[in-house]
Amino acid sequence: MATPVMMPNVGISVESCILTEWHKKKGDTVKAGEVLFSYETDKSTADEVAEVDGTVLELFFNEGDDIPVMTNVCVIGKEGESVEEFRPAGEAEEAPAAAPVAEAAPVVEAAPAAPVAPAAPQEGFVKCSPRARALAQKAGVDPRFATPTGAEGRVVEKDIRALMASGATATPASVGAYEGQSGTGLGGRFSVNDINAPAAAAASVAPAAAYVDEKMSSVRRSIAKAMNTSLTTIPQLTHTITFDATEIMNFRKKLKAGAEALGLGNITLNDMMIFAVSRVLSKPEHKALNANLIDGDTMRYFSGVHVGVATDTDRGLLVPTLFDADKKSLNEISAEAKALFAEAKAGNISPDKLKGASFTISNLGSLGIEHFTPVINPPQTGILGVDAITTRVREENGEIKTYPAMGLSLTYDHRALDGAPASKFLMDLKNTLENFSILLCR
Amino acid sequence: MPKSMYVDPKQAFKKRNIKFKDIPVCHYDKTIKDELDAKNFTKADLIGIYADMVAIREFETMLMDIKLKGNYNQKDYTYPGPSHLAIGEEATAVGQAYLLGVEDFIFGTHRSHHEVIAKGLSAIKKLSDDELTEIMKSYNNGVNYETVMKYSTAKNTKDLAKDFFMYGIMCELFAKDCGFSRGLGGSMHAFFLPFGIFPNNAIVGGSGPIATGVALYKKCNQKGGVVVANAGDGAAARGPVYESMNFANMDQFKELWEDGYKGGLPIIYNFNNNHYGMGGQTKGETMAYSDLARLAAFTPDQMHAERINGWNPLAMIDAYRRSIDTIKKGEGPVLLDVVTYRLSGHSTSDVMTYRTKEEVEEWSKSDPLTVFPKELVKAGVATQKELDKVRDTVIDRNKRMFMLASDLEISPYTDYDKNPNFLEDLMFSNQTVEKMDDRACDVRMPKEENERFKKIAGQARFAYDATGKMVPKLKQYNIRDAIFEAIFDKYYTDPTLISYGEDVRDWNGAFAVYRGLTEALPYHRLFNAPISESAIVGSAVGYGMAGGRAIVELMYCDFIGCAGDEIFNQMAKWQSMSAGGLKMPVVLRVSVGSKYGAQHSQDWTALCAHIPGLKVVFPVTPYDAKGMMNEALKGTDPVVFFESQRIYDMGERFVKEGVPEGYYEVPFGEPAIRREGKDLTILTIGATLYRALEAAEELEAKYGISAEVIDARSVVPFNYDKVIESVKKTGNILLASDACTRGNILNDMAQNITQMAFDYLDAPPVVLGAKNWITPAFEYDAEFFPQPSWFLDIIHQKLIPLNGYVADQNFTSVELNRKSAKGV
Repeated sequence: MATPVMMPNVGISVESCILTEWHKKKGDTVKAGEVLFSYETDKSTADEVAEVDGTVLELFFNEGDDIPVMTNVCVIGKEGESVEEFRPAGEAEEAPAAAPVAEAAPVVEAAPAAPVAPAAPQEGFVKCSPRARALAQKAGVDPRFATPTGAEGRVVEKDIRALMASGATATPASVGAYEGQSGTGLGGRFSVNDINAPAAAAASVAPAAAYVDEKMSSVRRSIAKAMNTSLTTIPQLTHTITFDATEIMNFRKKLKAGAEALGLGNITLNDMMIFAVSRVLSKPEHKALNANLIDGDTMRYFSGVHVGVATDTDRGLLVPTLFDADKKSLNEISAEAKALFAEAKAGNISPDKLKGASFTISNLGSLGIEHFTPVINPPQTGILGVDAITTRVREENGEIKTYPAMGLSLTYDHRALDGAPASKFLMDLKNTLENFSILLCR
Repeated sequence: MPKSMYVDPKQAFKKRNIKFKDIPVCHYDKTIKDELDAKNFTKADLIGIYADMVAIREFETMLMDIKLKGNYNQKDYTYPGPSHLAIGEEATAVGQAYLLGVEDFIFGTHRSHHEVIAKGLSAIKKLSDDELTEIMKSYNNGVNYETVMKYSTAKNTKDLAKDFFMYGIMCELFAKDCGFSRGLGGSMHAFFLPFGIFPNNAIVGGSGPIATGVALYKKCNQKGGVVVANAGDGAAARGPVYESMNFANMDQFKELWEDGYKGGLPIIYNFNNNHYGMGGQTKGETMAYSDLARLAAFTPDQMHAERINGWNPLAMIDAYRRSIDTIKKGEGPVLLDVVTYRLSGHSTSDVMTYRTKEEVEEWSKSDPLTVFPKELVKAGVATQKELDKVRDTVIDRNKRMFMLASDLEISPYTDYDKNPNFLEDLMFSNQTVEKMDDRACDVRMPKEENERFKKIAGQARFAYDATGKMVPKLKQYNIRDAIFEAIFDKYYTDPTLISYGEDVRDWNGAFAVYRGLTEALPYHRLFNAPISESAIVGSAVGYGMAGGRAIVELMYCDFIGCAGDEIFNQMAKWQSMSAGGLKMPVVLRVSVGSKYGAQHSQDWTALCAHIPGLKVVFPVTPYDAKGMMNEALKGTDPVVFFESQRIYDMGERFVKEGVPEGYYEVPFGEPAIRREGKDLTILTIGATLYRALEAAEELEAKYGISAEVIDARSVVPFNYDKVIESVKKTGNILLASDACTRGNILNDMAQNITQMAFDYLDAPPVVLGAKNWITPAFEYDAEFFPQPSWFLDIIHQKLIPLNGYVADQNFTSVELNRKSAKGV
């Protein structure tokens, strides 16, 4: 009489254990006391030893399987003995191509066994209805993790919904397969190839490659060159100041509330910054910052203020130019800046709009940067970095009060101007921003 | 089976002999001089006969040259189509057409260029210049007329009309857009209605039933003229031809039909006996008749049969003069066995392995194109020089028209790039014609006095009473009543409407749908047909083609097989093959049985739907039966109207307001949602609907699955919108009907639904049909036809597993393939 070996019941709260390693394989002889397999619970690992001598007749599970406790895992006995009576329900051996059914005897297809959520994804081809697949793609979940309840073992819509409700997230492989893309089938449908290919690719890339060599894009190369030129040829240094952003923030709130009534677009803090910079730079005393230094010996002063606006795009940093900003209203600046961003991001911006700036603003405030040293875009003589707003305290009439402080980092070309005029520009800009509404009255 | 005609056993057993009369063979022996003396012809008439023979010979020679040398009149041209030439049979055709008027119609065969040309040229001689001009201008919006006017050298209207006619026929053969059927008919289907030329038919004997139907139209609507059904001797072996000749000679025409309608049909069955059915020699090899004229044994008057020398045009004319008289006296039909011979092959690919060179040479010695002009010269009708001039003029016309018809600029092919829907738009005429003629309807009583009409008035037009209780079956207005009501109404609207089939009169149709019609209608509007399904359907095709509206009935759907050609090749195709020149307002009622076993229980919607050009509908509620019959009867398209014998007594269960007493139509192509649901869609064709509804109730009650049930109602046309919308909601669809599963039209629908809603499907669409067996006896009904439990079985196994359900039938894929591999 063969003896089944169960997954032991190791604790009140333990419902199942993971079989981590087989120490015997089918057909091995085993002596009482020898380790049959190792398993782990959520708390520990342990070995299960044989209690009888004999031959391992059958293994019902594979390494990695999550096995309910008190379930038969293997059978020890004499060769030739039947193991079928010990086979756990739902683990039926792959049925030999179903024997033809006699017409006279009506056939009853077993109702599908109560579904048990597989901890691991189904391997290989997954039967999944087109409807379920479409939903999985939309939701970004991996149908391989769903428990099929449809006819013929198919994953159907409600299985995907159950998977979504369980909070299942997409695996890296399935994200690659489904998210935000379409398949290679007609009408963007995912075909079998699409499902298998990215998974295979992910499998081969993730653990193996130590590094990947890639040629830089042309945009990246030109940025690299410009940065190198700037930092190796220009003696540049950065001054930092903070200002009280209460005024511009309040003003922005008002604009936001009244935008529709006033017929204004969505005016951002950045738009206001461009506006203020253009007005301050247009003053004659700051002309050295609204200029280009040509060949190291010629200063080219501009009559208008052409503000380059550093923009992060998928292809890298682009700096479209908002020409004659000093002559434009805040609303015009806002609209034009938006249009420039959009073109730059879409990658269809005209090259003419990527040059000709007399000064540049780079805003990293929205990314939470509190201070940085912007790099001059030659042959310009200055660049203003705009930092994040942080809360600061100060004393006001003997009381400690908080206020929103915004940082400004000006990098300037010391060949073109000295530290004092650069600092004066920053002071002037600070005052202007702190009294932004007065600026508008001018 | 009229009670007025007593079947007397004494008469039946009486000792007597049946006598056959002698049939004259080639009795015509007059000379040209005799005919001239009798003033039967002028000299010009005789020269005209010769000219028309030349036109045919030259036409056929042209095709022979194009096929064999790729060149005619020094111009290279390719014509890939059929070329069944009639070289040698010119006198036969010209003789036939000589006396026929424009109101006399001819039908032809695959070999009918000669008949068409002869009849056309004959009609041109008989029509006035004004009539000819009107015909030419109105055809194809005047496009052909303009082309011919531009290039023709004709000095008078008749010559212009000849140019016009030869041009139209050539274009038709060459598949040009200017062909008389826009090139959609071609060589074997060429015709031109304004000249009394009805379609040729590529099916041997195909014209037999259709020509008979046109003759029936002439009789029932008291139109003048005779109909000539041309056939070859090969067609003398075809069942539909026999059926037609019997149909045209039915005793009831003489015994039972009312005054003014008495007498056999006005038709001449003209067998152009060229001694060969393709290569098979009829006399002596494939036929038993010894002489074809013997077929006339059908009737006591032996159909006035004669065997005529078809190589002498004057003998043909003589025979036609007498035959037309016979028909005008109401003593038709007539059978003519016309001796002729084709000197060319069956087609240009014929290498003549079946006859000797000597035989052809011997016949060639009597070639009418050589003999007839010689006799004209001999009789002093014309000099050889004069005849040569006539010949040259005719040949010149053919050549000029060939140059026009073969020119790609002047006569272009239909441009499918510019007009991709050209043929699609010709598949159905989709017209609404309330009545096909304006005269009063010939009926025997006012509608209101009809007993059936009165009885129906008292029936419950909704199956449930105000309390929701079902009205007793016998008090329900049922599908039988609904079909009757629509047809009865049309009988009082459209004077051309006739109905016939097996046992429609007195018996009232096998399923009593027509109860009440016998009393209301004269014989010429409702009569019993012989058990001749080919003749029934084929003659209805002719009746519709001629301008009437007909409802014919095949009793059991299974008998479609007996009328296969007439349904699939004739009824379905003539509207489009004529480029819309012909309409086909014909309704074919077929009833799907269930109780009488393998040959009386089949749903053949798939067969009919497979053939382009047929509308196929299957209403299963009284509301739809009436509304869809009205829709069929107001249209101009052929409709195969399926009915189910299981539910003739079914009351109206869906339209709460009840079936309207007045007139309304239910448009074809729109399925009806009979039950709303959210988990599963069931689409049915036919009476299966009611079993699907039972299954839907059980699914809801026992398994909490809500099924939406849709009744297709119509198979062709079919708009998928509602079904797709439903599938998008439910994600699952089961399609069911009583037709066998293999080749069931539902498989086609399932495939289309898969295409249209692939990404919405939670399981493959599955088709539930009858077993792929013969239908066993009614006692085993539940083993063969889909049962409510089968719906649950297949849903459980293929669509949505039902909790704890135990299936009875095996619908697994393994089982499906096992059966398939076995051929079942």
